[in-house]
Amino acid sequence: MKLKVCGMKYQDNIEHVAALQPDYLGFIFYEKSARHFDTECILDLPKSIKKTGVFVDADIDFVIEKINKHNLQAVQLHGKESSKYCKQLKSESVEIIKVFSIKDEFDFSVLNPYEGIVDYFLFDTKGKLPGGNGYTFDWNVLNNYPSTTPFLLSGGIGLNQIDDIKKFQRSKASKYCYALDVNSKFEIEPGLKNIEDIKKFKNNLISKIMNYNVNEKGYYGEFGGAFIPEMLYPNVEELRQNYLKVMAEPDFKKEFDQLLKDYVGRPSPLYFAKRLSHKYNTKIYLKREDLNHTGAHKINNTIGQILMAKRLGKTRIIAETGAGQHGVATATVCALMGLECIVYMGEIDIARQAPNVARMKMLGAKVVPALSGSRTLKDATNEAIRDWINNPVNTHYIIGSAIGPHPYPDMVTRFQAVISEEIKWQLKEQTGKKNPDYVVACIGGGSNAAGTYYHYLHEENVGIIAVEAAGLGVDSGESAATSVLGKEGIIHGCKTLLMQTADGQITEPYSISAGLDYPGVGPMHAHLCKTGRAEFIAITDDDAMKAGLKLCELEGIIPAIESSHALAIFEQKTFNPDDVVVLSLSGRGDKDLQNYIDYFKI
Amino acid sequence: MNRINQKLQEDKKLLSIYFTAGYPHINDTVSIIEDLEKNGVDMIEIGLPFSDPLADGPTIQASSTQALKNGMTTDVLFDQLKDIRKSVNIPLIIMGYFNPMFQYGVETFCQKCQEIGIDGLIIPDLPVDVYHEEYQAIFEKYGLINVFLITPQTSDERIRYIDSISNGFIYMVSSASTTGAQSGFGDEQTQYFERIAKMNLKNPQIIGFGISNNQTFTQATQYAKGAIIGSAFVKHVTNDGIKNIKNFVDTILN
Repeated sequence: MKLKVCGMKYQDNIEHVAALQPDYLGFIFYEKSARHFDTECILDLPKSIKKTGVFVDADIDFVIEKINKHNLQAVQLHGKESSKYCKQLKSESVEIIKVFSIKDEFDFSVLNPYEGIVDYFLFDTKGKLPGGNGYTFDWNVLNNYPSTTPFLLSGGIGLNQIDDIKKFQRSKASKYCYALDVNSKFEIEPGLKNIEDIKKFKNNLISKIMNYNVNEKGYYGEFGGAFIPEMLYPNVEELRQNYLKVMAEPDFKKEFDQLLKDYVGRPSPLYFAKRLSHKYNTKIYLKREDLNHTGAHKINNTIGQILMAKRLGKTRIIAETGAGQHGVATATVCALMGLECIVYMGEIDIARQAPNVARMKMLGAKVVPALSGSRTLKDATNEAIRDWINNPVNTHYIIGSAIGPHPYPDMVTRFQAVISEEIKWQLKEQTGKKNPDYVVACIGGGSNAAGTYYHYLHEENVGIIAVEAAGLGVDSGESAATSVLGKEGIIHGCKTLLMQTADGQITEPYSISAGLDYPGVGPMHAHLCKTGRAEFIAITDDDAMKAGLKLCELEGIIPAIESSHALAIFEQKTFNPDDVVVLSLSGRGDKDLQNYIDYFKI
Repeated sequence: MNRINQKLQEDKKLLSIYFTAGYPHINDTVSIIEDLEKNGVDMIEIGLPFSDPLADGPTIQASSTQALKNGMTTDVLFDQLKDIRKSVNIPLIIMGYFNPMFQYGVETFCQKCQEIGIDGLIIPDLPVDVYHEEYQAIFEKYGLINVFLITPQTSDERIRYIDSISNGFIYMVSSASTTGAQSGFGDEQTQYFERIAKMNLKNPQIIGFGISNNQTFTQATQYAKGAIIGSAFVKHVTNDGIKNIKNFVDTILN
């Protein structure tokens, strides 16, 4: 659930609340309110916080004037505004939040005219004045919520409600609950917010109320699941029933840990990047996944899955690959275990990634071109799934990212979780600190990110930053920024955010980095995005390439272009001098040499 | 009574044909349906094309890609079909993947199907459980029959479960494969056909995947109420266009 703090009034106070990074800040433009916002302008807020104007039956021109003047991204309507009024405001390209007050019961049919027009409903407690009465209503009323339009829960929410919210969050009524809206319970006086209390509340939201892990049905919030044809059901079900059991076996753990140590070369170093830190005036630690055998984090997962496949008695391994990194990591472990390996790769990718194709062949894998559709990663994945349909008994499919039908996203995440497991003790050893202030990783499907975040998901003071590929620019039509451009949908067996046409056809993303060039994100990341737990930042090709070169110059490390995207955030976001920022350097740049050469005309 | 249930009561083996809407040409949809009915086909599956059809082999994939290039969309298909019940009486089923329906809005999609006179849906990647928990009530509200697949790998227990949730027929996938992959049926498949026939399910079964000619049609319908032909028909219109549908149907039935 996201957090909206409403009734902001004083400049200093606004700044302090904004530093806590709520998702929305509300400003009341209603003279009768004690929290009436009458200051000339709202100061510059971080882009991730949506400025919301709150109005009560105001003249529409007045609302539009405020939208333009204060650059509002959302409008919250507390009066008797009609659906027609809302529709008219919608053309100002702001989010529309329509408020309804609930006492003991509620006639949900009054929502009907607003369906499809407003972005959110907001339910608060019916009181004398519109809003800010300080009482909660009986949230059980929402058990009968008939709509699928997301809503904000409001009315008297304070620190005392933590347990109630936790209960609510696990109930059916919360399915479409998008955010919590807080106001009067966090005030020293009307309009002046108590920073410590809001901080405490936000921390509780992360550590106690929300669940960012997969549930027993395979969902992260509303994302995940297993949307697979019946032909795949036995394969996936076999895996689902066994994966946790197998991973918990002492023998399995021992073999996995041993191989990670002796074969992969773990633990990978946590390196304090002194010159980079100096340049950006903060403390940057690089988690050196680039130093793993085969040059990236991918091998953590393939080692885990090949051991799983052996335990399940499989003799034939299939995989999909985009740039070839996961293909190489799979071919490697198949050679190690002496299993047959077939890697599906888009025909176009085969042509542009010749060295990795050669590597896979040297390692004994058969590389099969995907000739259908757009002949890239997405189609290679389709072909691998089709292979699995045709070979349901003896074959294990090693998916390379935190995507696919449940249990894949969770299984891959758990194998990659070794990344954050190591960061924990390494950071403690080096700095004495329990937690970093931020963990940062790039996201294609999101396996290195999932592993980097895993042990910090419920750690309240750790900010999570996800870096997507903006390609030529988020709005250029040539991008892979799924969190911005994607909509909820189904791809490769799971419900997640994905890039698609209005008609539900999956579209081709673009990024200079083959590893980030995927039209979806893993369902865990979709959930982190939707709930506001992670901050998503999109980085263009140009900015990533420059950041990659900067790392070469300052630290003597040539990063993979995927990792260069993560590195580029330091140009976009300012950290405090004593912030500890741990960044997953997911891969090394050898594979991208030609790209760097072409780009910089070296 | 739903047209599918009526048809299943007829005392004959049923031939169902799949085609991809918008292929070979965008406006072929209605004419293909009318011709199939005229030439004795019992039921039609109208394929709503999808960019990533996981359960389909190369033939249907290629036809889907082409149909999308031709401009086929959910709205276009509904528009083409709006008067279909003035000329066609046999059961019509839309077969497609879940994402386009999800984006259209499942309820709106179902409502539209009812308005047009669609009798059922086949959605390979909508799992039984999700259907049962989230969508069954909507499908039933609009009088639509949802058809589920079973395969040789499906356990008896799961087949019974699928049977309990179905109210039309069960789509029996002939072998572990994507569409169009077979050339004939061997012992393994006939044993599977026999096993299912002996289960005395409440829903009749119709066999699909790998039916391409009179021989495989006859073989399949020995054990089941009917058979579905998809890739072979799509290949036929690829090679011969849509003028000789009679020839194709004749070679299957005779």
